[in-house]
Amino acid sequence: MIRPGVRRLFGLPLRTGEQVRSDADAELDAFLEERIEHLVQRGMTPEAARAEAMRRLGASMDDTRTALRASARRREGRKRIRDVMQEFAADVRFAWRQSAKTPGFTAVAVLTLALSIGANTAIFSVVHRLLLAPLPYPNGNRIVMPKMPFADAERAELLAAWQARTQTVMNIAGASEDMFSLRADGTVDTIPSATISASFLPLLGVRPIVGREFVRAEELPDGQATVAMISQSLWQRAYNGRADILGKTVSLDGRPLTIVGVTPAGLSIPLARTPPPDIWVPARMERASAGGSGSLIGGPTMFALLRPGASAEAASVELQSVVASLPDSAERSAVVRVMRAQDFLTARERRAVQVLFAAVGALLLIACANLANLLLARGWARQREFAIRGALGAGRARIGRQVLTESLSLALTGGVLGVGVAWLALRLIIAMRPPALDHLSDVQLEPTILLWTLGISITTGILFGCAPALLAGAQSTGDVLRRETLGGSTGITARRVRSTLIVMEIAASLVLLTGSGLLVRSFAALQRMPLGFEPRGLVHATVLLGGQKFRDRKVEFRDAIIERLRTLPGVTGVAVGVMPGKAYIGGGLETEADSTGQRANVPLIGTVFISPDYFRVTRIALVEGRLPDPATMTADGKGRALAYSPEVLVNREVARRLWPNRSAIGERVRIPPDLDRGGRVDPWSTVVGVVDDTRMPEVHGDVAAMQVYSLVPPKLGDMPIVVRTNGSGDIAAPMIKRTIASVHPALYVRPTLSGDTYLRDGLAPTRFAMALITSFGVLALVLSAVGLYGVIAYSVTQRRREIGVRVALGAEPSAVVGIVVGDGLRLAGVGVVIGAALAAAATRVLEAMLYGVSPTDPVTFAAVAVVVAAVALVASYVPARRVLRIDPAETLRAD
Amino acid sequence: MALLKGTLDVLVLKALSWGPMHGFEITSWLEERSGGRIDVVDAALIQALHRLEERGLLDADWGVTKNGRRARYYRLTRAGRVRLKEESEALVDHVNALKTILTARSAET
Repeated sequence: MIRPGVRRLFGLPLRTGEQVRSDADAELDAFLEERIEHLVQRGMTPEAARAEAMRRLGASMDDTRTALRASARRREGRKRIRDVMQEFAADVRFAWRQSAKTPGFTAVAVLTLALSIGANTAIFSVVHRLLLAPLPYPNGNRIVMPKMPFADAERAELLAAWQARTQTVMNIAGASEDMFSLRADGTVDTIPSATISASFLPLLGVRPIVGREFVRAEELPDGQATVAMISQSLWQRAYNGRADILGKTVSLDGRPLTIVGVTPAGLSIPLARTPPPDIWVPARMERASAGGSGSLIGGPTMFALLRPGASAEAASVELQSVVASLPDSAERSAVVRVMRAQDFLTARERRAVQVLFAAVGALLLIACANLANLLLARGWARQREFAIRGALGAGRARIGRQVLTESLSLALTGGVLGVGVAWLALRLIIAMRPPALDHLSDVQLEPTILLWTLGISITTGILFGCAPALLAGAQSTGDVLRRETLGGSTGITARRVRSTLIVMEIAASLVLLTGSGLLVRSFAALQRMPLGFEPRGLVHATVLLGGQKFRDRKVEFRDAIIERLRTLPGVTGVAVGVMPGKAYIGGGLETEADSTGQRANVPLIGTVFISPDYFRVTRIALVEGRLPDPATMTADGKGRALAYSPEVLVNREVARRLWPNRSAIGERVRIPPDLDRGGRVDPWSTVVGVVDDTRMPEVHGDVAAMQVYSLVPPKLGDMPIVVRTNGSGDIAAPMIKRTIASVHPALYVRPTLSGDTYLRDGLAPTRFAMALITSFGVLALVLSAVGLYGVIAYSVTQRRREIGVRVALGAEPSAVVGIVVGDGLRLAGVGVVIGAALAAAATRVLEAMLYGVSPTDPVTFAAVAVVVAAVALVASYVPARRVLRIDPAETLRAD
Repeated sequence: MALLKGTLDVLVLKALSWGPMHGFEITSWLEERSGGRIDVVDAALIQALHRLEERGLLDADWGVTKNGRRARYYRLTRAGRVRLKEESEALVDHVNALKTILTARSAET
């Protein structure tokens, strides 16, 4: 009787299919013969005994034979699997014992793996959420967005034409996010809201959990809606989830709306960068945006639902053909495109995510190289063990498999800890995420991600286990045992492999650190970027003074609000106006005489309404001329705001672009006459001063927009205000909102914007990329240093005899230390040169993320090279000092 | 007497708890112990042996019978021993329960 374990130990082959079949036959035959013999002994004739045996068999001979062959085959298959599993389990147990024997090595390996696999998992979850996963709606993977360079009206026309003849899409809807003031229980609350077309929810494939969707007839122009849906969250929060919610009214911006439905929890507009709306209001698709003052939003975001099986490309072609049939020739030449909503990230954001993914991939490769290196060193130390096991009959494949099992066990342990690291890293990433990547907040370590972690753990294990496994398998037993007894040094191949790995690690670390260095310099440059105003401590809010109820009392309320705010503690100034820095694009401007002396129409100039102390409050410098005089304001602006203000200011950008060679002071501008107003012409306003340009602290915010500053007209509806506080704007903002609401119960305020937040958001994308790449770079450098340390320490041990001889022959120990350190620095030097070349090629992909520094910035490259070299020096010097402890007499005697 | 469904496996395990046997020995043992009351179909028995080995409850190897024939000898594995204990306890319980019900005197008598 041979037990499976014994069979495995001696490598006895399992039965082949032919053998299994003949075994089954032999077993049956032996059984029958035994029975016949038994019966014959009882006195039966052989013939009768055979007949009885056949009867007792219970079935025909052929059937029995077939059945037994099948059950035997099944049995052998199962046993084979069981044997493999047992062998694997034995390997794993052995691997654990090995790891337990070298706790230092195991700790370093597992930690390295946990960090790099964890970082990889965290970044993969980001990549998965942003680039791979479908949008979280029932119809998520069929939602597309038409992109077209048209104004609202033309766009609506085009979409209607498209819908009429489309073969590729089923449904078109518009949605835009907004903020509204909600009044409930005597408190005013600003809540996120959305205006949507009736087709929006069906397009997403979502149904209200209570009540109904909007119908076409409820789509009314801005401000005329009479119904609303509320979110599940608001239903719970404000109405305690009461069942009779339908038909209740809710007061939005002071407007009563009847609730007709409740939307499912967490429902938001695809790709919206605001929190999930609490109130949904129906609006016409052509113009679903409320477009409050100072708003940049041109109109709603349009969505379409692809028919099952239709592609976004086919939809693009179709929409382009609709455009080609437009009557207007200018419109006909427009290029339109239909893109999957899933592919929403801008090229720049996509690039940033890809760069991070590549960086974290490089980190994982470095970790692999490092572990391969450590395992190689250990592999050499274990050569004797392998050789002996080989001599005792273990096959090369068997030993190789054992070594791979060891590295896989390490990798999987690292992977399990890596999930913990990833969880922590994700919390950090979510906390730091830039506003553009806001939807990252719901990233989780879902099963897909964990599958990825498992995949990279196994790949890592195989990658770093391969070299030692090949080595263990390929060594000739005789060679190893002979060398052991002769005490010679190990092969030149081994050193070469390890040196190559180190050079590779150093080169890759240098690339990562260069990227991080460039981002650090960009971040510093962004912080120094002259913004033209002081955002810290500045708060912006918009007071809703539109509509009939304030008709004749706008100026009175405006003054009251400003007065009340001025008396607040910590407030040093209040003015009418918007948060500077963003471009407020407007309908353009006409100038009486441009640089050539011609009357000219200049598009894309925005007008900002201000009170005279706006510039003092925002700290925008007056560079030429004077402030406009409020006394010149006319009582009747003939319907156009600029026309109220005979004196206006322009920013430097306007002055530079329109009147490059002379002063802008005294030039005359006006709103260009257009056909909409029946050709009515506004009076000219005179430029009395030039103020500084304002910018956003963004990588691409460096271009100043053209702005005209006009005194606020008395009839202005919604009033934007800026408040200067001497603390943080974030802290003052809620107090400012409360104060405005306290002036009159009917007053509503749009959400405040603090300059501090504004500044932070502007810097966030760079800070995000910088922090992540820098941490990967530092981790990579540490790993490389550990690797280099290991190589040098090992070479000192290897060269004991050579060093002993040198010292015995009179070499100064310090000179020998120099030689060893020189070896380390040579490796580092090669790594730095290769890395710099790679970095010069690789940092080009960062170009779009850099500000004020070129991708091949020599300062960064030099600094990083110096840092890497310094680390390499330390990593070589510390182990090299062991040379000093070598006793020449002892090493010579050892032979 | 035909066997109750599912009892063959436990009987085979019980037989082998006395030591390794080949197929015919097992069936003889069962007949003897039951005083001839249990009648196992031979094809079913050998298939049961294959099945139990497949599940790791039995181990098998070739040996020589007292009549000088090559035969497959089966023995219990540790897992087989555990299974035998569980199954026989359950089966005995079951049989006792049946016995209690079936031998109860009815009210009229």
